[in-house]
Amino acid sequence: MKAKLCFLLLCSVCLTLSTGAQQLPKRHVKKANEQTQEWRYEIEPVNVGTPGSVVVKVWSFSKKPEVAAEQARKNAIHGVIFKGIPAKDRIPGKKPLVETPVETGFFEHFFAEGGDYARYVTLTTNGAIAAGDVLKTSKKEYKVGIVATVAYNELRQYLESKGVVRKLDAGF
Amino acid sequence: MPDFNPYDHKKNTEQMKKLIVTALLILLAFAIFAQAKKPTIMVVPSDVWCNANGYMTTFDNQGVVEKLPDYNTALLEDANLNLAISKLGEMMAERGFPLKDLGASLRSLRTQAAEESVTLSSDGDALAESPLDRLKRVANADIWMQLTYTLNRVGPKRSLTFNIQGIDAYTNKQIAAASGTGPQSFSVEIPVLLEEAVLAHIDNFNNQLQAYFDDLFTNGREVSLLCRRWSGSDVNFESEFDGEELGFLIEDWVAEATVEGRFSTVEASENRMVFEQVRIPLQNANGRALDTRTWANDLRRYLQKFNIDAKLSTKGLGQAIITIGGK
Repeated sequence: MKAKLCFLLLCSVCLTLSTGAQQLPKRHVKKANEQTQEWRYEIEPVNVGTPGSVVVKVWSFSKKPEVAAEQARKNAIHGVIFKGIPAKDRIPGKKPLVETPVETGFFEHFFAEGGDYARYVTLTTNGAIAAGDVLKTSKKEYKVGIVATVAYNELRQYLESKGVVRKLDAGF
Repeated sequence: MPDFNPYDHKKNTEQMKKLIVTALLILLAFAIFAQAKKPTIMVVPSDVWCNANGYMTTFDNQGVVEKLPDYNTALLEDANLNLAISKLGEMMAERGFPLKDLGASLRSLRTQAAEESVTLSSDGDALAESPLDRLKRVANADIWMQLTYTLNRVGPKRSLTFNIQGIDAYTNKQIAAASGTGPQSFSVEIPVLLEEAVLAHIDNFNNQLQAYFDDLFTNGREVSLLCRRWSGSDVNFESEFDGEELGFLIEDWVAEATVEGRFSTVEASENRMVFEQVRIPLQNANGRALDTRTWANDLRRYLQKFNIDAKLSTKGLGQAIITIGGK
């Protein structure tokens, strides 16, 4: 009987730990979101990509490497929309899709947890981080590089349909 | 016409409401349809590309041998050129600008010329065509996208240098451009390099095109106007009408008919007036799309007020020529 109880207790502890491991600490996620808003991430092109998409490497910062890795998806979209992609080697850069900030609250919903932004980004290596792409920048912070594919044309069309980005043929 | 009874206030109010709604609907329809004409865009291989790849024809221009690009042969023989043009077309159509096809336009011109050469009236008359008409019968577009690409080889490595220039056919000014050399590769085929180059550069090109369209909507389309006179004309640009010289009257008209009076008078003499950087609105007061010819036709009509006959002709899409003193 006692052994059975111990076994059940152990099982429940294991279950709690495993589900807890999947959920990222909320305060770190909040901090990561703040850093996105403060432009504290780096974005660079990796290659040209297939028609309508861009492949970028996003460097995010966090105390927890897994939080930084998760935030990479949001940062990739944020970068394409607001920051633009700088040119690198022989790959030309891209201007940001939105050059003047919109004050309608649209992007608060767009970038919320489970927001529409996630529809337009895929982590190319399924989220796996290459050996050289986790850098410890200080005692309490990691800089993590993740390669992501952004569905550039679909994202632009979505923003056009929401009136955030003007169509090229608008006015004609 | 509805019956009007001055004592039936209820009925009158109803009729007034109907009239207001109808007027609003008409205004709304004007607002919806009052849109500028969408510019046509066509991709052509640049003269440099045609020359480098041997697609040029030569002709004797009064003793001087001149070279002209031979688009027909280039389109017929170069599969990579066709690929680049169709890829650019695909990307532009996705942005709401389906391209005018060069090959189809040239074919259409050939068919038209062949048809017209055998068209006769019942009296056996051929179609009237002046040498000027023949000269003007070329493929037209509002914006030309001139394409150049060069394959570079360094030992076994290959790379592609790509250049697209957007030329405004009205002013011949470069309005957008994107260029660069792609990454080096040992094994990638030329069509793949070409496709990559198009994908890499088209967004930057379109950003500049957007800036050009913004300028067009704000400041109007840039054209030029040349006014001249037939030698036998009694009237010149220094002739006075209502106490003012004709040249100044024309200048005042141009100032009125341009967006915020934007134009510059480059030349003004008794025989000739040249206006450049003339910014004409995209639509007239009726909401009709305006081009250089329609715009300059209003000047021709204005001159009729002073009993001056004038001939209106155009050169390309962006230059209007008014010749006073007859047709």
